[in-house]
Amino acid sequence: MNAAELRGVSYIYSENTPFRKVAVNDIDITFEEKIITGIIGHTGSGKSTVSQLLNGLLKPTSGTVSVEGKDIWEEPKKIRQVRFTVGLVFQYPEYQLFEETVYKDIAFGPKNMGLDESEIDRRVRTAAELVGLTPDFFEKSPFDLSGGQKRRVAIAGVMAMRPRILILDEPAAGLDPRGRDEILSRIVEYQKKTDSTVLMISHSMEDMAAYCDKILVMNEAKPFLYGTPAEIFGQAEVLERVGLSVPQVTKLMRELRRRGYDVRTDIYTVEQAKAEVERLVGGDAAC
Amino acid sequence: MAETIIRTENLSFAYEEEGNRIPVIENLNLEIEKGSFVAVLGHNGSGKSTLAKLINLILTPTGGTLSLFGEKVDEKEMSDDALYALRQRIGMVFQNPDNQLVATVVEEDVAFGPENLGIPPAEIRKRVDDALDIVGMRAFAKHSPHQLSGGQKQRVAIAGIIALRPDVIIFDEATAMLDPRGRADILATIEKLNREFGTTVIHITHYMEEAIRAGRVIVIDDGKIVLDGTPREVFSAVDTVKAAGLDVPQVTELMLEIRKDGFDFPADALTFSEGADAVEAYILKTRNKKEHS
Repeated sequence: MNAAELRGVSYIYSENTPFRKVAVNDIDITFEEKIITGIIGHTGSGKSTVSQLLNGLLKPTSGTVSVEGKDIWEEPKKIRQVRFTVGLVFQYPEYQLFEETVYKDIAFGPKNMGLDESEIDRRVRTAAELVGLTPDFFEKSPFDLSGGQKRRVAIAGVMAMRPRILILDEPAAGLDPRGRDEILSRIVEYQKKTDSTVLMISHSMEDMAAYCDKILVMNEAKPFLYGTPAEIFGQAEVLERVGLSVPQVTKLMRELRRRGYDVRTDIYTVEQAKAEVERLVGGDAAC
Repeated sequence: MAETIIRTENLSFAYEEEGNRIPVIENLNLEIEKGSFVAVLGHNGSGKSTLAKLINLILTPTGGTLSLFGEKVDEKEMSDDALYALRQRIGMVFQNPDNQLVATVVEEDVAFGPENLGIPPAEIRKRVDDALDIVGMRAFAKHSPHQLSGGQKQRVAIAGIIALRPDVIIFDEATAMLDPRGRADILATIEKLNREFGTTVIHITHYMEEAIRAGRVIVIDDGKIVLDGTPREVFSAVDTVKAAGLDVPQVTELMLEIRKDGFDFPADALTFSEGADAVEAYILKTRNKKEHS
């Protein structure tokens, strides 16, 4: 089964006003379950709108949004349940921390689900562990933590609701390289341990290449490309045409091809590039 | 040699927490020349933002000396007016575009600084128009900031600083919250200010591809300078850069990895075309050797 589907979905902001804006235009997207899908595109390409449609924060102007095979707007009164199934971590979620302690902040979601104390405790501990926060953080004020730690608390708060689909909007934005790798590898680990579906929105092609199983490229309110990182980065010129950057090693391979060398161009990591360059120069030396 | 406009001697900054002294900047010696474009790299908590705030006189050093424009800064000796005058010459652009705009109309926001300096209205008009031209936001002068993208807001924030006509602008992770297009716009604006207007730029960033466009790169770790040189010099020290919790450009890392396997590749390639040059040069060299042997 697919995790979620959008069929013929449009969403228009400020309809019937001079600020009318079509955010997504008659789109069909299928999200596969139990993998990490990266969603990439420019500001205004519709990627954040898609995430808010999936968790029922936005109601489509037309079309159907289904999660786990069920139209989420079939019974509008039960939309709250969808938000427990589809967890959404906003951009810069650390700005939304508000409780006195880290523990209480992570417990906020599970508490609202009406779970009992022992279940809440279990979930808080598991979620904290998933993001790499040790119990000695629990009684601290979230406001005394560093930026990267705050972000982990905020992400743990959503993980603690055990959503079957977790959506993260720019989880690594603004972090330094070490903090970025830390958070993204925690997300990969979370996906493996919980066997759930993860959607990750990012501007960073390098991060997408390194951490996602599949990539969806959005452009001008429509899905533009979908495939594995190799399939996506093999079409570097198409990506560049819509103004998206590609990893530096992908550019290097394309440049070598342009200069007449027979190299693969669907390469996006340093490791792959090393193997390919060594094959090229080694092979040349041998013959 | 160009005039040194920022000089620190054993500059230190520490704060107290529960009776313990926590050092942030330790005995830092640095000289920055007029008209230079310096990128400052360091992981979160390395002390790079603290250094920026010391230079901008937002923070007072706990040790050492700071000289600006050839004048030693002594906050105890100097009058408030003299300190304000110095602060005006060093502008700062911060990370979050939403936290820096105060007015409801773009041009009024840019005028906010000059108005507070008591500049005559006709002069303010000119400065605002000029500043919006420089950042390419003149067409949005009458817009409300909330209708702008992050990159556009950040350009308005920069215009607000330009209108104060500072000699130095410090960008404290000013590109961190922007998308690739917004980042490219800000970087183009920074380069324009530096090249065409001679503004001294200190650009604090996590993005290595931005740092390679500066004339000089400084890497800070634990409140100390660990690397200082041209982008080529700094990034070829891959191990030191990585130990400081930072990345090097993918091509630089690739060349290093290939070198480790015994191939004679250059250690200081930064861009994809330099990488391609290196591969091509290696192939030609080995081919020549074979023909001669």
